[in-house]
Amino acid sequence: MTAPPLAAAPPRLRRPSVLAALTVVIVGAAHVLAWRGADVSPAALAEGWEGMRDFLGEAVPPDLSWSTVVRPGLDAALVTLYIGLLGTTLSVPFALVLAVLGARTTTPNAFVQQAARSVLSFLRAVPDVVFALIFVTAVGLGPFAGVLALVFHNTGVMGKLWSEAMEETDPGVREALRTNGASGVQVTSHAVLPAVLPQLAGLLLYRLDVNVRSSLVLGLVGAGGIGFLINQSIRLFRFDEMLTYILIVLALVIAVDQLSSAVRRRIGR
Amino acid sequence: MTTATPDTTTAALSVRGLRKTFAGRTVLDGIDLDVRAGELVAVLGANGSGKSTALRCVIGLERPDAGSVRLHGEETAGQAGRRPAAVSRRAAMVFQHIHLVPRRSALDNVCAGALGRLPLRRSLTPLLFPRELREEAMACLARVGLADRAGEAVARLSGGQQQRVAVARALCQRADVLLADEPVASLDPAATTQVLDLLGVLARDEGLAVAAVLHQPALARRHADRIVGLRGGGLVIDAPAGDVPASALDDLYSHGPGPEGTTP
Repeated sequence: MTAPPLAAAPPRLRRPSVLAALTVVIVGAAHVLAWRGADVSPAALAEGWEGMRDFLGEAVPPDLSWSTVVRPGLDAALVTLYIGLLGTTLSVPFALVLAVLGARTTTPNAFVQQAARSVLSFLRAVPDVVFALIFVTAVGLGPFAGVLALVFHNTGVMGKLWSEAMEETDPGVREALRTNGASGVQVTSHAVLPAVLPQLAGLLLYRLDVNVRSSLVLGLVGAGGIGFLINQSIRLFRFDEMLTYILIVLALVIAVDQLSSAVRRRIGR
Repeated sequence: MTTATPDTTTAALSVRGLRKTFAGRTVLDGIDLDVRAGELVAVLGANGSGKSTALRCVIGLERPDAGSVRLHGEETAGQAGRRPAAVSRRAAMVFQHIHLVPRRSALDNVCAGALGRLPLRRSLTPLLFPRELREEAMACLARVGLADRAGEAVARLSGGQQQRVAVARALCQRADVLLADEPVASLDPAATTQVLDLLGVLARDEGLAVAAVLHQPALARRHADRIVGLRGGGLVIDAPAGDVPASALDDLYSHGPGPEGTTP
């Protein structure tokens, strides 16, 4: 008597489907087109390395004179931090209202929901640099234009992230409060918001981190801060000054990043 | 406070001809159910027998296709239109998965039971809850034996304690009909006994009408006054707990086609 035959194991590799093959071909073709369209040329990089050597030669050592470079650099970095901070904080009320209106779990009215989502999409789609250029024409060169730009763009991004967090809340708690006779607003304030508050705070800190980095770029288009100084020193070919500023930026970005992730870790617990 | 003597004339909860179909599958096929003040009724049935759906139709989380739900003789507009809030608030529900807000204190969670009767300006955040409400909620916590844990975040309480807080929230709703959908399915035996004892006390000593979906016939026998058995969307048992033969309970869970089905 022999043991009953075992069912054969399924084959190690399944035959790829037509769809999978087609996907590979299309993605491959897209990369070839992109390589040509972006003028990618390793040869140009190899030939032009001397340019980079000269550039770096001029940048190193950084210009560390206190009164003309380091001090103004630190002051400007502080302004960059202020732009990021205000841009994030001032967008909180707008992001909160639009997030609540745009989330399925807090707004049953489909029309209101769609309207809120459209506003968020628009604000997200317009880059903060474009907002900055627009606001520079209104309030002139300077940090305030940067703050306004961040408020608009960050409302779009943070509102969307918050809205998604609200949609992922436990339907059970909402249902339970409904049976208590709670209204839609009460369900939002007693079931949805308390559940997502830690997540909202975490996302806020993440956005602060991103916004401080963006406010650097905003400086390049005239919206104040240390980005403005970097732009200036490049135009004047003062690459040693530029390197000092970049080192300051590096320190600022790392500090904000570390702080934000440390706080997020504590909240997550 | 309702009287401690069972009201035999009008049932606190009276369900007639309740029907519910999900995507062509009949889950409830004309259920009649009465729960009187002062009694604890256990609702038994296999998975998918419609017992949870029946409770959800009563509380308004599902809309029945047909039938009526009356609380103290007043129609709650089962299948059509909005439920008159003042009537439907007299029934409250507790759930298997408890559904409290874990980060908030037990007291704040119990206060939330009163949301239906509070204006928005007194209820937008727990900070605005009136002092009388907080006192009433403390009394509700005392009734479930948890007054000493009032300030603690619900997440720090055990499963059994959390379910008792959920019962207190239902009490704070001033409900006199209490529905419990598998309230002890996620609890250990000691907590199970505590929660079911509590439901028994609320029924017999405080005169609430309590209907609890249970998943264990033995628990129903030990704690309930009456057992109701659902099978294939219909009521096949409705008798005092002591009068239900074990074979009838076994039939509830056998894999037959319906109430008349036989299994080898």
